Amino acid sequence: MFGVSFLSPLFLIGALAAAVPILLHLFHRKTDVVIDFPAVSLLTRAPVQHHRRRQLRELILLALRVAALVLLAVSFARPYVAGAAAPASAPVTVVALDTSMSLSAPGQFARAQQAAAQAVAAAPASDAVAVITFSDVATVLVPPTSDRGAALSAVSAAIVGAGGTRYRTALASASEVIGARDARVVIVTDLQQTGWEASDEGGLPDGVAVRVVGIAAPTSNLAVTSATRRDGTVVATVQNYGPDEARTPVMLMVDGKQAAQATATMAPFAAADVELRGTLGDAGTAHVVIEDQAGYQPDNVRFLALDPPPAVPVTAVVADPTGAVGGLYIERALAVADGGHEFAVTVADGRVLSKWTTVEMARQAAVVILGTRTLDRRGRELLKAYLAGGGQVLLTLGPDVDPGTLLDVIGADLGVAPAPVRSASATLVATDSRHPIFRPFLLPSGALGDVQVDQHRRLKDQDGRTVLARLTGGDAALTEQTVGAGRLLVFASDLDNQWSRFPLHPSFVPFAVETARYLTQGRQQGRDFTLPDVPAGVPATPGVVRTGEGATARQMVVNVDVRESRPATTSVDEFMKDITRTNRSGDHEIVDVARDAEDRQRWWQVGLLVMLVALAGEALVGRRAA
Amino acid sequence: MAGEARYLDPAIVARLGTIDLKARTIVEGFLTGLHRSPYKGFSVEFAEYRQYLPGDDLATLDWKVYARSDRHFVKKYEEETNLTCHLLLDVSGSMGYGSGPITKLQYGSYLTGALAYLMNRQRDAFGLIAFDDRIATLVPASARTGHLRAVLLALERLKIGAGTNVAKPLRDLAAAVHKRGLVVLVSDLLDEPQSVLDGVKHFRYRGTDVVVFHVIDPYELTFPFEQSARFRDIETAQEVMAVPSAVRQDYVARMAARIAHYKRELGLAGIDYCLLDTSQPLELGLMAYLMTRRRVQ
Repeated sequence: MFGVSFLSPLFLIGALAAAVPILLHLFHRKTDVVIDFPAVSLLTRAPVQHHRRRQLRELILLALRVAALVLLAVSFARPYVAGAAAPASAPVTVVALDTSMSLSAPGQFARAQQAAAQAVAAAPASDAVAVITFSDVATVLVPPTSDRGAALSAVSAAIVGAGGTRYRTALASASEVIGARDARVVIVTDLQQTGWEASDEGGLPDGVAVRVVGIAAPTSNLAVTSATRRDGTVVATVQNYGPDEARTPVMLMVDGKQAAQATATMAPFAAADVELRGTLGDAGTAHVVIEDQAGYQPDNVRFLALDPPPAVPVTAVVADPTGAVGGLYIERALAVADGGHEFAVTVADGRVLSKWTTVEMARQAAVVILGTRTLDRRGRELLKAYLAGGGQVLLTLGPDVDPGTLLDVIGADLGVAPAPVRSASATLVATDSRHPIFRPFLLPSGALGDVQVDQHRRLKDQDGRTVLARLTGGDAALTEQTVGAGRLLVFASDLDNQWSRFPLHPSFVPFAVETARYLTQGRQQGRDFTLPDVPAGVPATPGVVRTGEGATARQMVVNVDVRESRPATTSVDEFMKDITRTNRSGDHEIVDVARDAEDRQRWWQVGLLVMLVALAGEALVGRRAA
Repeated sequence: MAGEARYLDPAIVARLGTIDLKARTIVEGFLTGLHRSPYKGFSVEFAEYRQYLPGDDLATLDWKVYARSDRHFVKKYEEETNLTCHLLLDVSGSMGYGSGPITKLQYGSYLTGALAYLMNRQRDAFGLIAFDDRIATLVPASARTGHLRAVLLALERLKIGAGTNVAKPLRDLAAAVHKRGLVVLVSDLLDEPQSVLDGVKHFRYRGTDVVVFHVIDPYELTFPFEQSARFRDIETAQEVMAVPSAVRQDYVARMAARIAHYKRELGLAGIDYCLLDTSQPLELGLMAYLMTRRRVQ
C-alpha cells in the first residue's frame, strides 16, 4: 500500500472553493418554481428541455466544476505518493527485534518473538506499526502500517541469525522509518554489552520514547573462538564465558567425518587450547565442534580452510641478478609474510623480463623496480604497458636505476633529479601515519625514525603526487601517484642496502610486507572470513562457501564474530544512556526526500491536465445546455 | 364582449350558495334574457286537444272539456316530445385546474347544474354521469319530480378524480344508452384527441345527438407565464422545465391546432362543439345547448 501526501498541504484549503458551485446549485434548486399545469403534454413536444435531462446535465456540470476546483487545489498542494502504507503524519510504534547470535540460546528467541508480538499488540490503536530486525544490519520487515496482522506475521516469521549486535544500526534504521512522525520505539534485545560498536553511527530523534524489553541471556556459554592448522594438527581454542568450570568434548570434522576428538576443560571465564591430531589433507575445509546445550549455538562450530591461500605473484626487477644483493632483501622480506605463503617473489633482470609476454606480465600482482640498467626497449615497454594497464609498481631510485630512461619505463615524467643527494644520517618520517603502509609503525612510535638513508634522489613536487614519507631534510622519501590506470609508489633511495641501510633495519620487513600488501590489495585470495565482513556474493552465514568452477574454484570459510559469544549484558538504564539523541533536523531531510519524490512523480501536472479536461468538458456541456 | 355583459360572471356565480341556487340563477336569468331574444317557445306548454281513443291514459282526459261539451278529449303537452338527456361531466385531475377564481370542474359543474335545471323546466329526462378514467358517479336519466335535486346533490358532492380516459366511459355509456336522445359532454378533453373523438362518435353511430362543451382555462389558451419554471402535469406528475417566453408561441399554436382539430372532426361527425373558457359566462353554454336541442326536435 502507498499513501498520498502533499508537499504544500495548505493549498488544500483552496478546495473549499468547491463549495461555491455546490451552494449555488442547491440555492438554484431551492428557488426552482414548480407550477401545476394540466396541458404539460403539449409542452413536452415543444422545443424545451426535459427537466430530468436538464437536471442530469446540471449535475454533470456541477461535478465538472467541483472537480476542476478540487484538482486545482490539489495540484497546487503538490501531491506525491509516499512509499509507506501509513500516512506520513500518523504516529508510529517501531518494534525493533534483535536477531543477533546472542539470542540463539535455546528458547531465547521464542521469548523475544513473544515480547515483540506483545509490543505490536500493545501499540496504540491510532499508531501505525513498523517492525525492524537487527543484528549486524537492520532490516525493515514491515514499514509503518495499520495492519497489525502483517506486523505480527513478520514477527513470527523472523529467525535468529549468527550476526553480531549493532544497536546503533537498529536505531538509525528506526530513525529513518520514523521520519518526522511522533513515535515510540520498542527494542526487544538481550542487552548484550558488545552491541554498542564505537564506529557505528545512529541515534533516535528527540522526543521519541524508547522502551527496552530485555530478554534474559544464558548464564554461561562455550564457544570455539579459533581453529588453526599447524601441519597435521588443528589447534582449537575453546572459551568458557560462564562462572563455573566447564568441560566439553571437542571434535575435528573433516569432510563430514570425525577426524579427531579431545576434551577441553575450562576454568570460569577462561579459555583452553585443544590440539586435535588427525589425518588432514592439503586441501579442503574442516570444522571444530563442541557441545554446548545451554549457550549460543552458532559459536559451537568453527570452520577452517586446510589449504593455504595461493601466494600473490610479485616480481622484483633488478639490474643484474648475478650481483651480490640485487633483489635479495625484498625477496627475503616478502618471503616471511604469512609463514611464507602470502607472496611468491620472482627476481628478474632486464634481459629476462624482456622475454616475458604481456600475459605473464599482467599476471604479476605487483612489480618492484630495483634496477633498470639492463632493461632493453621491449622490457621498458612491457613495464610501461603493465603500469598503464592497471599494474602496481614500486620504483626505487637507487644506483641501479637510470633516471634518463625512467620516462620510457614509467611512461610519465617523475621529475627525478639525475644526481643523487648525499645526506648525512637522514631518517624517514611518515607524513600520514594512518596510511596502510605505515600502520604497523603506529606502535611503537618512531620505529621509522631509526632508518638511516645516506643517499637519495630528489623528487620535484608534482600535482597528483602524494608524499607518504619524507626524509628529515624535507625531501620526499616515499610518494604515491597514479599513472594511467596503474598505481606507482616511488622510494627515493634504494632497497638493496647500497644507499641506505634500511634493509638491515627491523622495520624493513613490515615495511616491505605492508607495501606489497598495499600494492596487491584485492589480488589476495582470502580464505577465512569473519561475519559480517564477507566478500560480495558470499552469504553472511557461518559455514563453507564454494565459489567459481574449475581452475577458479575457491573454498572459503565464514565464522561468527567471537565478540558476540560473550553473554555479558548491560542494564536498561545504561542502555538508555547510550542512545544518541538527534535533533529533528531530519525533518529537512524528510522534506527533501518528499520534494524529490514529488519532483519525480509530478502528479501536479496530471492534476492540472485533468482539470483542463474537466473545464473543457464543462464548457462543452454548458454550451449544449445553453 | 359587450353583449356578454348581461350574463352572469362565473366568478360571481361561484360565490352563490348551493348549486341549486346557482343553477336557478343562471337559468332564470338566461330565460329572462331569451324573452327578448329570437329563441321563443322553448317552454313546457299546452300543445293541442285530441279526440280520446281507446288505449289513451285516462289521466290525460280533460274533464273540464268533457263537462262542458260531453266529449272526451285528451291534452297533448310539449313534454311528450321531450328528450332523454345524459349529462357527462369530466372530473379528472386536469379539471381541477383553475388560474382564476374557479376551476374547470367548478365551471363544468355549474354548467351541468344549469343544464339540468333547464332540462327539468322543459320536462326533459336527464341523468348525470361523472367520470375520470372510469364512471365515478351515475344518476340515471329521469324526468321525475325531485330528480333535479338528486342531480344537483350529486354535482355538489363531486370530487376531483384521477387521470382522464374519456374514450372508455364514453364507450361504456354508448353501449348503455338505448333510447335515442342527447348526450352533453362537459370536459377539458385533455386526452388523446383520437380517443376522445372515437368515444364521442360512438353515440353518433347509435343515433344519439351529442354536444361537447370543451371547458378550458384561459391560461391553457394563452400560456401567459413569465418566469422559468418546472411545469408539473396535474395528472401524470410529469415535469417539464420550460422558459415560457421561449415555448409560448409553440404551445399556443399546438393548443389552437388541437381545438381546431376537435372542432373540425366533431363537426364532420355532426356533433356540436362549444369551446368555453372559464372566464366566459355560463349562459353561452346554455345557448349552445338550446340550439342543439332545437335541431334535435
